[in-house]
Formats: sequence, structure tokens, C-alpha cells
Amino acid sequence: MTIRASILRRNRSAAALALGCLLVTAGAWAQTPAAHVYPALGVGADRRVDVAWNRFYDHAGLADILTRLHQAFGDLTKLHSLGKSTEGRDLWCIEVTARNVGNPDRKPGMFVDGNIHGNEVQAGEMVVYTAWYLCHQYGRLDRVTSLLDNYVFYLVPMVNPDGRDFWLADRNGAMAGRTGSTPIDNDRDGVADEDDCDDLDGNGCITMMRIKDPQGREKPHPDYPQYMMVRARPDEPGEYTILGWEGIDNDGDGRVNEDGRGGYDLNRNWAWDWQPAYVQRGAMDYPFSQPETRAVANFVLAHPNIASGQCYHNCGGMILRGPGREGGEMKEADARLLEIIAEQGERILPYYRSMVCWRDLYTTWGDEDTWLYGARGILSYTCEMWTSQNLYKTDHDPSEEQEAEFIRHVLLDDGVVAWRPYDHPTYGRIEIGGLKKEWGRLPPSFLLEEELHRNMAFALYHASMMPLLRIADVAVEPLGNRLSKIWVTIENNRPMPTRTSQDRDHAISPPDLVSIRGSNVKVLSSGRVMDRFFKQVQAVEYRPERVELDTIDGMGATRVQFVVQGSGAFTVTVDSARGGLLRTDGALP
Amino acid sequence: MKVGFSRTCRWAVPFVALLLVGLPVGAADYHSHASMTEHLAWLARSEPNLVRVGELARSQEQRIVWMVEIGAGSEEDRITRPALLVVAGIEGNDLVGPFAVLSWIDRLAKQYREGSPTTDLLNTTTVYVVPCLNPDATNCFFTVPKIERNINGTPNDEDHDGLRDEDGCEDLNGDGLITLMRVEDKEGQYITDPNEPRLLLKADPLKGEVPVWKLLTEGIDNDRDKRWNEDGPGGVNFDRNFPCNYRYFAPDAGVHPVSENETRALADFVVAHPNVGIVLTYGAADNLRKTPPSGPPAPRSKATDAINDKDIGYYETIGKVYRAKLGLKKDLEGISHSGTFGDWMCFHRGRLSLAARPWDPGVEIETSKSPKDKDPNDANVPGAKKMSDEGQDRRGKEEREQLKWFDEHAPDAFIAWQTVEHPDFPGRKAEVGGWHPFARTNPPAGMIEEVAARHGEFLTDVAGRLPRIQVAKIECRLLADSLYEIEILVTNVGFLPTVLAHGETSQQVQPTRLTLDLETQCFLAGERVTRLPAIAGSGGAAKVRCTVRVPDRDRIRFQVISALAGRVQGTIELLKAGEK
Repeated sequence: MTIRASILRRNRSAAALALGCLLVTAGAWAQTPAAHVYPALGVGADRRVDVAWNRFYDHAGLADILTRLHQAFGDLTKLHSLGKSTEGRDLWCIEVTARNVGNPDRKPGMFVDGNIHGNEVQAGEMVVYTAWYLCHQYGRLDRVTSLLDNYVFYLVPMVNPDGRDFWLADRNGAMAGRTGSTPIDNDRDGVADEDDCDDLDGNGCITMMRIKDPQGREKPHPDYPQYMMVRARPDEPGEYTILGWEGIDNDGDGRVNEDGRGGYDLNRNWAWDWQPAYVQRGAMDYPFSQPETRAVANFVLAHPNIASGQCYHNCGGMILRGPGREGGEMKEADARLLEIIAEQGERILPYYRSMVCWRDLYTTWGDEDTWLYGARGILSYTCEMWTSQNLYKTDHDPSEEQEAEFIRHVLLDDGVVAWRPYDHPTYGRIEIGGLKKEWGRLPPSFLLEEELHRNMAFALYHASMMPLLRIADVAVEPLGNRLSKIWVTIENNRPMPTRTSQDRDHAISPPDLVSIRGSNVKVLSSGRVMDRFFKQVQAVEYRPERVELDTIDGMGATRVQFVVQGSGAFTVTVDSARGGLLRTDGALP
Repeated sequence: MKVGFSRTCRWAVPFVALLLVGLPVGAADYHSHASMTEHLAWLARSEPNLVRVGELARSQEQRIVWMVEIGAGSEEDRITRPALLVVAGIEGNDLVGPFAVLSWIDRLAKQYREGSPTTDLLNTTTVYVVPCLNPDATNCFFTVPKIERNINGTPNDEDHDGLRDEDGCEDLNGDGLITLMRVEDKEGQYITDPNEPRLLLKADPLKGEVPVWKLLTEGIDNDRDKRWNEDGPGGVNFDRNFPCNYRYFAPDAGVHPVSENETRALADFVVAHPNVGIVLTYGAADNLRKTPPSGPPAPRSKATDAINDKDIGYYETIGKVYRAKLGLKKDLEGISHSGTFGDWMCFHRGRLSLAARPWDPGVEIETSKSPKDKDPNDANVPGAKKMSDEGQDRRGKEEREQLKWFDEHAPDAFIAWQTVEHPDFPGRKAEVGGWHPFARTNPPAGMIEEVAARHGEFLTDVAGRLPRIQVAKIECRLLADSLYEIEILVTNVGFLPTVLAHGETSQQVQPTRLTLDLETQCFLAGERVTRLPAIAGSGGAAKVRCTVRVPDRDRIRFQVISALAGRVQGTIELLKAGEK
């Protein structure tokens, strides 16, 4: 057992007091080997907060990393909870930005969350890794420095911490913990969550049950008998019947494991294209009925500066964008930008594919990224981490035999539980065994760090596309008689407009405002410059001291004209919810 | 899992301080929040065994949204009995709905004491009433100036200029009312109605009509954007804030479905009270004045917004009762809105969901017509087209008829146009007047009692139409020593089926189940828990059969649990060999 593991264990039970001790211990521990350690490319030598990224952490474990990060990087982070989960766990959010450079609340924001499906655990590590990386590389890598100077990252690693802890700590299967922890009566017998899987053989994991059966149609694979079962050929007898996941009929209703913990899907509980449970399984009673989704939504609603979003899941190696259903809203210009960014993502993430959810995967109603886009006009992806193509670095999925080979020769059989006999109260003499829950949806330890880094690199690329405004020029042209014409040139040096087409079409964000003010300056007329060479100006009809812009387009400049009377100093303000708040001073002759 | 009433509803007893004697409301008048609170306090004190009053939610302006529960028996009894939920004041300009439901509760309490069919009803049925879901909006009836609003006060940027609630109405003529204003303006859209000079009509360029008036609500252009009163205080209309056919980005729909405290509390309440089988919403929508559209069930995994053909008969029957109680001799056009509570309860939650406008002048006009006043344009009348006077301008007909009705019954309802000096229109003719706020949504004071009485009778009828299971027959045959064949017949003596066809589709109504109190290994055929199919009302039945081996008992207890039709317990006596 390593020192860190023992610290973690202690921390889990002893909460706040232990945290203080932990910081001291961790610092001392990190210093000793530093003299003999050399960084590989990717992350620098500074590891003020040392974390092993080749394993998973439970809610308290990730919270501990976030706390240490916040304590070590106070000028870069703010750590707070968005609310409590159903079972009362904090929904941690770490905000990462250069807090002393500009106003953190007015920088264009990137929202990244993960692990809304509790069993999809590496998403949590990915989001915390992003915070960890950004903090340590700020000031070392210019690109990271500029990201944190210009933008703010809102990082929520665990949207479903109840499911995460259940999956990590309890005895269950690969899909357990996907749901939140509100009890649901899945078998509609008036009792909720009364018949879940059971770890019958007490080995700490839920695997499969099979029974030797002369009428069975399954048999062990001839070459890999301990790794997989195959269907007998139509003309040959089988040896086994597969009985399903390990468990008994807890409630005596003649069915096994039919009403396990929870039974809904937090990623179908979002208020865009939401449909009730009879159309979309797991939707729950109404959008944002769950404390977790509601807390995250309230946070997003309270942060109109969020311009981009990513939601991390596993698995399949996908960069998914909306719409979630055929005919769902997706504006052409927004789709193009999402496609371009995702294409770069495909190059950053080998074997990952850029896909449209309904067209290339399946139809979903009420999921998070479509709410971010549809209801808030925020360009968003759902990223499905990990693909088995990574096992052998192949352009196609490995065969089951190849996977068995991997388990045998690369994992030295970590990943499979040998079949062992068991006396089942209903089935009699059976065997229990098969693949472990970690196999399939999660990378093995030595590939995990790569997954985290590459997915983060894509998120950072996406972030670097967010609007970046600059008041490039304020040109004053005297017209005589105390009259002047002022042209304000506002550049957006990134591809993303301040307001997406979806945002503009539904007036989700307020318009971008360009205004001018001076104690001795009166605005007589104003407007947007439509053609800078022919000096065509579209005049505003009223309130000339403020010009409303429906957007400030990416990779270009927008110009605004003010015709003013007066003299002396004035201030030009550009106020864009997703582009930031900019001010510059000028003077009239 | 049993969910107690108290989980979403904090039962308050804040009434001890209000030592009131007798009914606080004397002559018929609309309830302010304070008078409603007093009235409910009085009710809860005088009928402690029948009426319970609790807090459903706090409004944004910190008013208590009350939930009234009427029914005898223990909490366990009440939450498992067939239940009716009535919601009023969800459309914030509705004062008559809250009045009507409170009067009904009074009447139920009185009838319960006197011993009548109502006593039986309330011993076997639970009635939940939200008398006013949007007290912040109804409060505008009592403010000066009086302004009719159906939204709460959640700040909103209706004109999308980055400012919230910056341009509301003003009382320009100081009459304490926010009405309309018309300004002479060639850029307007209106002309004076040639048939009624008090009313305006939209100018029709195809008829060569040149606009004369701009028609606005009363007030000034506070934010100088050449628009008047386009971004006043608030808000969200609660009956547009539910997920079924929710209209995203509509100015009164809220930032997302179920976004407000009050709507969320109501949603959580019905989730926690699955015994609610019928819902009646008093609001702007109405599916009782005409049978709503129906259709075949939608294909699997497709949302539907037409009543299932198999369920429509129940709506039709109850609608007829409603029209009879109102004295309507013909169907009026039904009214639907997006995002209503009622549609959510119907299409997403599978309940029988009724919606009624508590009052509108159209119904009064229709019921006051004598049979010979046939509308020449009514398509039902033979030769209607021929009789129609082609020369007469039918535009604005409905409003003219209403004005005529009000002139006869409540002449104060229309405020005469009065010239004002308007700062935004110097030197131009500007007049303030038009419909009195709330006049066309709530009846004149003299009519309230009568309107309430009509609704009360209908509500009692509806409460009697819930499904209700009984055990009609138990048969137990001894096949051999300790081996029995048991047959239990469960019937539904209510009107509605134990579950509507759409209730089954929606998966939100748990199947009726019969549970025998026997160990699993006793069963040779049949199961400990049997799920029953939908059982039609008016005596429909379902049979459960099983073969059991019970060597060591004289009787078997069983329970039938229906989500919407109540619960029944029973005992099967086991005959021993040789007994007869």
C-alpha cells in the first residue's frame, strides 16, 4: 500500500480535520523525490499537487484533489459546490482562470462537466485532470497562460457523485450507477429498489451466472474458454444456459434483479426536447426534476458568459453534437462551426469519430448538450471517452478473440473472474464468473492518463475557439462646429461569434451593446457600419448612445459609428454577455 | 414505497392566532390573499376532521400558496383513496375560480355535517384543492392602480434589449385602473368600428381603410424605445410552464418548464400523490365546453397530443354534464394552450384531466340567448349562408356582442374614452379608456355566487366519477387435502376505468395488483402478486385464479391495491376436508 492510498483511506473517514494534515504530509512527500525526477513532455516539473492519474478516485478522493489544487493555486481557482446530490454529496465546481487578470465573471466561459452517468467514471478524472493541468501549466506554457488570461473554465467533474461512489465502492456490474439514487419502482409492484444484483460469491464484483444444461444453447469459446461464451452452432448441442447477472430473487416475485437501485437517466432530464418516460426511457417526471440536473442548469443560467460546453461520458470514442432527434434545432452556421472544431478533435483523439447524435448514433430526448445548445445557444458536445480500438491501435474494433488475447497477454488476466461453482437458492448448482465490470468501458491503468490528456487537449482546443474581443481602434473625425464622427472597430479574433445563430434567432442572450459616454459629449446619431469602404451606416432608430449588435462575428471586425456633439474625454464600452466587457477612452478635439 | 402527504406539503397550523368567529367573507366578493387565508383558517378550525390546510409553496413575493385537503380518515387512508385535484388561480387573472372552489369546499363541509351523499363521498374519496396557485398575480386585482396580469413577478426581458422590466404601464388619467389608450396616428393599425364607435377595428388595406389610431396599453415609453409598456414587471404564466407542448422562448413560458417555485411544488405534489385520478384546472384553457379532439393511440415511443379514442367517451360524458350545469345548449369552441398543467397531467401522466374557464362573457351571451335567436351564420342552421347579410361587417362581432351584454349587466365594465395629455405624443389626440381590468375574465360581483354554485354542483359530480374497486366474489374450492383452487373477482363500481388507455401508455399509473399473503412456495399455479388489467367502470370485473397448497392455515388474507381506484383487503376462508 502506498503512502497516498493510506492517506486517502484516512481522509475518507475523517473529513475536514484530516484534510489539513494531508496537505502538510502531501507537501513533504512530494518534495523528497523531486531532485531525482525529470519531466517528460506534456507537463512540467512543478507538481505542487501530485496526483497519480492511472487510477480512479471516489467522490471524496476527487474532492480532495480539488481542495489541494485550490489551496495551492488560490490565484487561479475558486472552488464551490453547485448543490447537493440526492444522497447529499456536493456537486463540486472548480473555476479556473487567472483571477487577477480581468474580471473572472466577465470572461467568455467554457463549461465542462462529466460523470452524469455514475458508472462512466473516467469522465470525472478527465475534468479534474483539466483543472490540474491548467493550474500547473499556467505561466509555463504561453498557450495555457493566454487561455486562463482570456477565458474562465467552469469544471464540474461529477454531476452524479452518488452513482459514481456506488459504482466504485459497491459490488455491482458495468452499468450499475448510471442512474441517480432516487428510488424507482422499476417492476411497478409498489416497492422501489428491492431486487438488485447480489454478490453471491462474495468476491467483490458482480459477474454472470451460468448453469450446465443439456438443453442449453451456449458453450465456452473453444480457444478462450475462460474469457467468453459463444452460441453453439445450430446443428450442435450446447453446454450451458446463461442466467444473467449474479443475483437472487430478493422480493420473491419470480424474477431476478428486476428492480435494482434507481432506474432513470439524468442525461434525459434536461429541458430541451424533453419527452416523458413513455417516449424517452428514464426521463423522470419533468425536466430538471432531479437535484443534480437542476443545480447544474441553475449554474449555467446564472452564468451568461458561458460560450462553450462539453459533457464527458464513456464510451465509444465519439465527439457527439446535436440535435438529439431528427428535425431538432441546429442552425447551419452553428453546425458548421461544431463540425470544424470536432474535426480537429478527431485528429487530437485517434479513433474518435465526430458524429451527429440522432443521425449517427441514436435518438435521445432531453439530454444535456442539446439543452446547452438549444435552450442557451451554447456550442456543445457530448464526448464519449475510450474506444476499444485503442487496445491495438487499429482502425476497426478488435474481435472478441483479440480482446481475450489482450486480457490474457497484456493484462495477465486482470479483467476476468474465473468461473466458480455456486449453490443458488432458485437455480441450484450454477457457476459464477466472467468479465469484470471495469472491462470494456474504461481504459486500463496504463492507457488512462493518455485518455485524460487527449480529451482535455480537445476541450482546450474548443475553448480556444471562443470569442476574443478587442477594441482595435477608436477613430475620431472632426466634422466642424463641435461635431465629430467616431468609428469604433471591434475585433473578434476567434472563429466563434459572440452570439451563435441559435442564440440570435431566439434572443437568448441580450444583444451586444456598444455605447459611448462623456461628460461633455452628446450622441446625436449612431449605427452599425455595414460597408467600411462606402461608409454605409445602418442608423439606430432610438437611444443613439447605445448601439445593439445582434452578434460580433468571428475572425473579423465590426464597426460602429457615433456622431457626437461636444468636446473632451469619452469612454467607449463594449458589453457582450459572451464576449466580455471592454472599455477604452478617447478624446474629442 | 409510501409517500406521505407531508412530504411535499408542510401542514401549517398558523391559525391559532386568528381567533375568528364565523365566516370571514360575508357578501360575495373576490378573495384577497389575506381574506382567503382567513377563510381557510376558519375552515380548518371548524372542520378539523375533514379539512386540512397546508402550505404547498411560497410565492416569489412570499405569499403562501395553500393546499386544502378534504376527506375523512387517517393520512394513510386519504393518500390511498381515489382522489380529485382541483387547481384554480393558476392563470393569474382568475379571481372567480378561487372564489368558486372555496365556496365549493364550504358547501362540501356543510353537506358532510348534515349527512348526505356527500358524507359517503368524503368518507371514501380525497379531494385536493389548490385555491390559488398564483397569488402574486391575483393580488393585482387589489392594488392601485389595478392591472390585469396573468403572470408572476419573475423578472424577464420581454423586448430583448438587455434590460428587465423597464417599461411597464402607468395610470395616466389617475382613475386607479390600467386600461387601454388610443392615439391618433397614421402609422397606427386601427380605425373606429363603424358599428360601435367605442370599439376599434384593425384597418384592412384591401377595403381601402386608412388607419387612424394606434392602440396601446395605458402608459408612457419609459425606456424611449418607441414601444409602449412592452417590458413590464414579470413574469411567468404558470399554466404555460409545464412540459407538454411547452413553448420555448415564449415571453410568458418561463426560462424552462417547471421553472417557478409554485409550478414545481404542484408538480412534486402530484408525483407524490399518485392516487389523483381526475384533475380539474380552472384557467384559460377549456376542454369541457366541447369534447376535445381524439385520435388513435400514437405509435410506440411517439408523443401524442390527442386524447386516445378509447378514452374520449369519458370526456364526452363529463363535458355534457358540465354544459348542462352551465345551461349551455350547444358546444362552444374548446380552448387549448401550450404548456398547461392539465395537458401535462393528461398526456404525460395519464390522468383524466379536465379544464374549464371559470367564467367568460361568451358563455353568458350564449346561455342568455333564447332558442329563436339563431345565429344566421351558424353552420348548423340550414340555409345559413343565404341568410347572412353580406353587407354587414362581421369583424369585431364578438367584442360588440360582449359590449352589449356588459352594457346591460355591468355598464362599468367599459370605461369611456377620456382625453389625456400624453408626454410621448405632444399636440396629438390621445385617449384613455376601454375594458376595465379583469372585467372580461371575472363576472360582475352580483353574479359570483351563482357562477360558484354552478361550478360547485359540477365539481361534486366529478368527484363521484372516480374509479373504485371492490371485491365482488371469493370462491375457494378444496381440490384435495390442503390443496385449494381460489378465485377472486374484483370489480370497479366507479365511473372511470381503473386506468385510462393513455394511463397505461404513459406508464405513470401502476397496475392494479392483488397480493395473497402466502409464501411463494405455496403456489402450484398463479402468483403471490397478480397484476390486473384495466377494469372498466360501472361494474367491470377482473378475475384472479390460483392453485395453492396450504396445509397449516384456516384463512388467507389478501389485498387489492389500485393506484387510482383505492384499496381493498379481504380474507379467504379455507374449508378443511369434510367441512361444508
